[in-house]
Amino acid sequence: MSHVPTPTQTYDLSFARWVYGHVDGGDRLALCMQCGTCSGSCPLGPQMDFGPRKLFMMIRAGLKDQVLGSNTIWNCVSCYNCVVRCPRQVPVKHILQSLATVAVREGYPGARETDNARFAKAFWWSAAKYGRTDERLVTAKFYFSYGLSKGYRKSMANLAIAKGMVKARRMHLGLPHKCKNAGELKLILARAAEIEARHGDAS
Amino acid sequence: MSKTLSYYPGCSSQATGVHLDKSLRAVLGKVGIECREIEDWNCCGASVGHICAGHVPVAALSGRNLAQARAAGPEDVMTPCAACYLNTHATNEAIRDNPGVAADVNEALGAAGKSYDGSLLVRHACEVLVNDVGVAAIQAQVTRPLAGLKVAGWVGCQTVRPFADTERGGKWTTYDDPAFLDDFTRAAGAEPVPFTGKTRCCGGSVAVISPDKTLHLMKDILDEAKAAGAEVISTPCPLCQTNLEMYQPAVNERFGTDFNIPVVFYSQLLAVAMGLDASADAGLDQHLITPEPVLSRAK
Repeated sequence: MSHVPTPTQTYDLSFARWVYGHVDGGDRLALCMQCGTCSGSCPLGPQMDFGPRKLFMMIRAGLKDQVLGSNTIWNCVSCYNCVVRCPRQVPVKHILQSLATVAVREGYPGARETDNARFAKAFWWSAAKYGRTDERLVTAKFYFSYGLSKGYRKSMANLAIAKGMVKARRMHLGLPHKCKNAGELKLILARAAEIEARHGDAS
Repeated sequence: MSKTLSYYPGCSSQATGVHLDKSLRAVLGKVGIECREIEDWNCCGASVGHICAGHVPVAALSGRNLAQARAAGPEDVMTPCAACYLNTHATNEAIRDNPGVAADVNEALGAAGKSYDGSLLVRHACEVLVNDVGVAAIQAQVTRPLAGLKVAGWVGCQTVRPFADTERGGKWTTYDDPAFLDDFTRAAGAEPVPFTGKTRCCGGSVAVISPDKTLHLMKDILDEAKAAGAEVISTPCPLCQTNLEMYQPAVNERFGTDFNIPVVFYSQLLAVAMGLDASADAGLDQHLITPEPVLSRAK
């Protein structure tokens, strides 16, 4: 990923312009007219440091660290209310989640430590390794990413749910489900990662 | 009718959503839709894959599934899972509309000697049931109507958002008050209760990751269903079903409530009403909160 500019004065547009050009959906962000439909439609809006409307104004104001350090970008539940309701067709969900990816890549304090980033890492491990999501292994890998004792506590807290799922035959015991041709998928994903990196370098 | 479609069951079909896959296949068999499962399908990336891997690898996941489906034939791809539908449909449309995405996905697929031309249409199973089969034809298969059963129809988010309004997304009439789930309930001989929270969010993957952030969202849904007199909540989404069922004890603990409302798939209600086996075909024995007592009262 190319260098993310750090604004040197208030309302310096360098960061906003970088977001317009490099973040998924960012090309429509300049159309935001600050109406607040997104924030008002967001199920987790009240729990965010700033709603999407305010976050978008902060991008224009050059507040890069506050934007990439906010919990807003990690609280998107992918409900798409904002996407279908925005009168300017700004893909709010895409922008928030892409900023989360930027925060991880840029090494923002805490970004890698968020629950979501840990879970996303565990999830991708299963999808890429087996070609399928093994909900047991993803959950276990996610819990134990916090260390042995916290992982054990989290596992025990959810033991009743896990037992219920096994009893309901919605969680199996034994080897993970996997693609027969996981090797082929691995080749495809390796090439895709090269393309992703190439785009990052060029942009 | 008789029609063959490519079928993408998705990862939940082998785990938390096994009763959706089972009951839907049973219902589709009754109404003449044959599911040709995509050969050796893989995960779609769901709601979080891109956060870690970026967009090209996630698009490549759907690209491989679509290439496999296209190699088997030109028929539409159907999936019952909201997230599978969203990712697979979105990638398919991007491959059609955006030459850059098409080039990236095909370059990635090329590593395994595969390619995909964007010629398929990816559809949600509910949309196929409404537009290809028709509610009347579904109802015609019902032999044991679930008379008197009060059902809250809860569609969730990604089944209708963001593609409901698009031509290739089925051209539904609304994002916020879709009628199809209540139509399925009526077809099963049961009674839909008034429910304004049809497309309210349970928290999705964030509910799995950090349930504390989203328990209040699930409480709102349960509150309205209970106040409306619903005996059971019906949904098409595997994650909605699992979240709202498995977190009811946590909701009760947090808010001092006493919810114990079964959450089922529309396809389970239809399978039972069509006289299919409650366990082997409908998977009613695969719940954390059993729906069997309220459903047997209705029969």
